[in-house]
Amino acid sequence: MAVLHAWRAARVTPLGELNAPPRMTAVALRLAVQVVLVWSLWRGLYAQTGTTAGLSRDQAVTYAVLAVLASRLRELDQYAGRDTVLQHMHFGTIVYWYLRPLPPQRYYALRAAGEQLYGLAWALTGYVICLAAGVVEPPASAAAAGVFVVSMLLGQWVLYYVMLVLDQLCFWTVRNTAAMLILMFAQNLLSGVYAPLWFFPDWFVTMSAFLPFQATLSVPLSLYVGRIPLSDAGFQLSVQAAWVVVLALFTRLLWRRAARRVISQGG
Amino acid sequence: MGQLSVAIEVRGLSRTFHTTVRRPGFTGAVRSLVNPERVAKHAVSDITFDVAAGELLALLGPNGAGKSTTIKILTGILTPTSGEARVAGVVPYRERERNARNVGAVFGQRTQLWWDLPVRESFAILRDIYEVPKAEHAARLKEFDDILELSSFWDTRVRHLSLGQRVRSDLAAALLHDPPVVFLDEPTIGMDVVVKEQVREFLRHQVEQRGRTVLLTTHDMTEVERLAERVVLVNHGRLMLDGSLDEIRRKFGSTWQVRATLADPHAEVVPPPGTALLRHAGAQVVFGPAGPAALTVQQALKAVIERFEVTDIALDEADLEDVMRAAYAHAGEI
Repeated sequence: MAVLHAWRAARVTPLGELNAPPRMTAVALRLAVQVVLVWSLWRGLYAQTGTTAGLSRDQAVTYAVLAVLASRLRELDQYAGRDTVLQHMHFGTIVYWYLRPLPPQRYYALRAAGEQLYGLAWALTGYVICLAAGVVEPPASAAAAGVFVVSMLLGQWVLYYVMLVLDQLCFWTVRNTAAMLILMFAQNLLSGVYAPLWFFPDWFVTMSAFLPFQATLSVPLSLYVGRIPLSDAGFQLSVQAAWVVVLALFTRLLWRRAARRVISQGG
Repeated sequence: MGQLSVAIEVRGLSRTFHTTVRRPGFTGAVRSLVNPERVAKHAVSDITFDVAAGELLALLGPNGAGKSTTIKILTGILTPTSGEARVAGVVPYRERERNARNVGAVFGQRTQLWWDLPVRESFAILRDIYEVPKAEHAARLKEFDDILELSSFWDTRVRHLSLGQRVRSDLAAALLHDPPVVFLDEPTIGMDVVVKEQVREFLRHQVEQRGRTVLLTTHDMTEVERLAERVVLVNHGRLMLDGSLDEIRRKFGSTWQVRATLADPHAEVVPPPGTALLRHAGAQVVFGPAGPAALTVQQALKAVIERFEVTDIALDEADLEDVMRAAYAHAGEI
């Protein structure tokens, strides 16, 4: 039952950020600059053309701006707060995770949930401003909005597990900086943050279908802008759910192995 | 707090680590990569001791002696290779979560507090994790604050605390859930004398007034002298000695020196039996213990006065640091 009582652990990231106003200002500035640049870029790219890769200009701009906002949901920041597996392994404080009546995997999940909810507050604020300013289009229908919300939720769940796998790597490698750099690039490229996947060649789209990244962002955003029709939503949601199940089982196995490693090495 | 007559039981505890040896040079590095050489390191070998409930035991030994490994096994973080341990009736490495409610721990300067949050927020998170009722939490915090003066900095973020403030906060954090057994692995390392004394007073209070059992490792002999009545000495993973401070002093504390100024600087100096002449410069002579029948400091004082005409005499008795140095050296020879 400790997990229910330990909800306060979910407040660590938001509280840490609220206690550091310069960090919040930096996030707001970065988001504003990124949104403006992405908006300008995609409008510029569409200046001489109509529909490309199945996306109109408004769809492409909406997709790109939403991708920027969504990337705030789980910032790939390894250092703020000194409470990552990487840092605990580095400073030798991982022992405290195994010294509490709350299992490390539950503590990690609570922390991540808090982090994602905090990111959601930023993303929602940005979305409302962009919607009011006409930078992004609203969803085509209430049904599209509903499917988008479900798909986004599943996408964040997949992203949580992808991040978890990387953090779990630290139990064996102590540092995961190289893996993190690769992941950041792969995540941004294959989830469609840099550019919607529809602009890539067919072989690339086929390859990315076998990886979990497009389930994190490309699918929900494509549903939002209508690039994936609602009739295909059921299949896409099933694929996302399948990734959640596969990654949940895999990370569960890794938690067990990590615990075995900690108790055999002593942290 | 449930009272058991024996809070910590350790029976034949051993822990062996297997590590890869890196061979020197480029060729050696390649060979190590292709054909790694594994060696066994016995961090703890067949250690047995008990700690009574409400006792403060100092687990001493030089660096790499096996103290931290022992503590990690007792906190449930590490599994032993063989042997058995019980802490407050629980086998720590088999029931880690149950054990976690019974123990608190501080590992040197490694903080368990949340770096970005004010200290009080860290305490609140721990309160939730350990499911401590709010009123109980507030009362305990007040008690800790009275000795550790936490309220002067508990609204400060951990990243901005001084080392002394952080360690005091960590001590409080480790005890907030009222554990009957506390493990402290070099808690005062690097702290100034004022804060050290504050921490000692806090620990004394926890043992004497709250009946907590404390297992302390430290290299600070003043700390041992002021806090512990009993010490366990380990070296090379083996238990070398388990006894009271008085016993250890009797066994290893015979490193006295008697300094005398002779009335006749040209007098022939033959040391009394059971002593040795350590230094002789003009009228100044220094005697120390010698041989298996070494005199005690009182006997030596008497013998020197009887044998020589002295104008001044002084004695230096070994402090605990000297005693432990002699004990470590003795343990190293075994």
